[in-house]
Amino acid sequence: MATARFADYVQRDSRSHGMNLRWTFPPYPVGWVSRETLRGYVEGNDPISGVPLTEEIFLALTEPLTEAEKNYKPEKRPERPRLLEPATEADLHRFFLESGWTDGLPIILPTEERVAEMLTGTDRDPQEFVGMMSVTTHEERLQYTVERVAVNAVMAGAKPEHFPVILALGASGRPSMPSSTTSFASMMVVNGPIRDEIGMNYGLGALSPVNYANSVIGRAWTLMSINLGDVRPGATFTASTGTTINYNNMCCAENEELSVWEPFHVRKGYKAEESTVSLFRGWTILGFNTGPAQRMLEVVKGISGPFGASFTFVIDPLVAKGLKKEGYDDPMKFSEWLVNNMEIRFKSPEMNNFVVVGGEMNPMWVVTDFSYFQSVVIDPWIPKAGVKKDARPLRMPEAVACKDGSCGISH
Amino acid sequence: MAKNNSKITVLDPGGQPSGIFGRRLNVDSPMFAIHDPVYQPRDTAEALGAMKMAPRLDSLEGKTVYLVNTGFAGAKEFMEELQDWLAQNRPSVKTELRHKKTSMFTDDPELWAEIKKNGDAVVFGVGG
Repeated sequence: MATARFADYVQRDSRSHGMNLRWTFPPYPVGWVSRETLRGYVEGNDPISGVPLTEEIFLALTEPLTEAEKNYKPEKRPERPRLLEPATEADLHRFFLESGWTDGLPIILPTEERVAEMLTGTDRDPQEFVGMMSVTTHEERLQYTVERVAVNAVMAGAKPEHFPVILALGASGRPSMPSSTTSFASMMVVNGPIRDEIGMNYGLGALSPVNYANSVIGRAWTLMSINLGDVRPGATFTASTGTTINYNNMCCAENEELSVWEPFHVRKGYKAEESTVSLFRGWTILGFNTGPAQRMLEVVKGISGPFGASFTFVIDPLVAKGLKKEGYDDPMKFSEWLVNNMEIRFKSPEMNNFVVVGGEMNPMWVVTDFSYFQSVVIDPWIPKAGVKKDARPLRMPEAVACKDGSCGISH
Repeated sequence: MAKNNSKITVLDPGGQPSGIFGRRLNVDSPMFAIHDPVYQPRDTAEALGAMKMAPRLDSLEGKTVYLVNTGFAGAKEFMEELQDWLAQNRPSVKTELRHKKTSMFTDDPELWAEIKKNGDAVVFGVGG
């Protein structure tokens, strides 16, 4: 039995898994409704079939299987072509939108020439297997090559210099927007030398749309999730409200230069000279504030559940400096203090994460409900000759340097 | 601006079918593994294609039907109402209500063994 809202979803699921199961569908929702309502569902009809619900259950258990049910064979999904039918640019833009292959914003059409140019961003064979992905827990994973990742990178507006980071995201096999009725969101943070090589922003406005690399890399992960992770709203993607975080996945780099702590990836066991992309997932930004440890504790006390806490803090370098002055020269020490002062059943300081991002314009921090999942090393995807950059790499204006001593003053 | 009606060729952005499916969690899988490309157990199209639906019963008279609460919100209460309705309206059908041990995502082999041993039919619910 499944609720009627999920009738198409579960029927498709069972068929793709090799059985055309017999379903009975009570009305939706079943959760958080009264006993009287539930009793009404039991005594009423299945809204999909129109048959009394209990009668349908009896029939499902006692009617002999049909030949079709005994010998059901799942349909194999067709292979996707490499090239689409030639068409005008206007028609192709419309086709990509109407096929659900974009995030709804204009894309760069992935012509053979543009994809070939993107492929100069790595030494890897275009037909090399990179990974497989699905936004669902259960449906068939889609597999993809370096070239298919390049197609999505072109669509996102990326350049070859960004391609190693995008390939590392692809190698994770992790969609940025896994399907859940609760609407998952992700965050990606780049560490290591590649941040500066490709002009990523980890300073002022690092999470705002004011930097080319951050924007296109974050968007590429979304487009990969849609096209390589098989997003089909209602069919494979069930986020009830959805979240705007899915557009860019909070793509940023860590401000290693201004942080008083070891870089995030070093704390996870990687070398400082390695470039990595670290991946986080949760639902949303829970809150923000400014200032020191005690203020952070007060805020998270108010938002943590009864069983425990798993927070990822994105903090301005000024906050890290302030915490260090309070005696926390390692963020894990601070996390221990935090959980020990919270009224929670399971105290797991290692579940909290701290990423230093920002431009020292305000000792501000945001706290998310994200968990850390993994870091992927980017270096194996970088050409042996180094990151492939244009003769004049495209860069958006950098923030005005703060040199007059006014940094850190809250306005 | 002049309208450009020339046709161009572009590449398909989609991934290819792999024959690999995500699978329910094992009893000892961590909960986060359900959406995890590294830790979530997998199934193959071949293994799934070999599964068959169970033969049906002639009747439910005198039979034992297990009602399994899969763990979604409201499923427990719904199954309790269904069990109560069956007790009142179809008393010849014996029902056993069980709740999956961990979550809707996790295998529960002990429960499956109990149902195979003592039950004649099973209704899972309520999804969604």
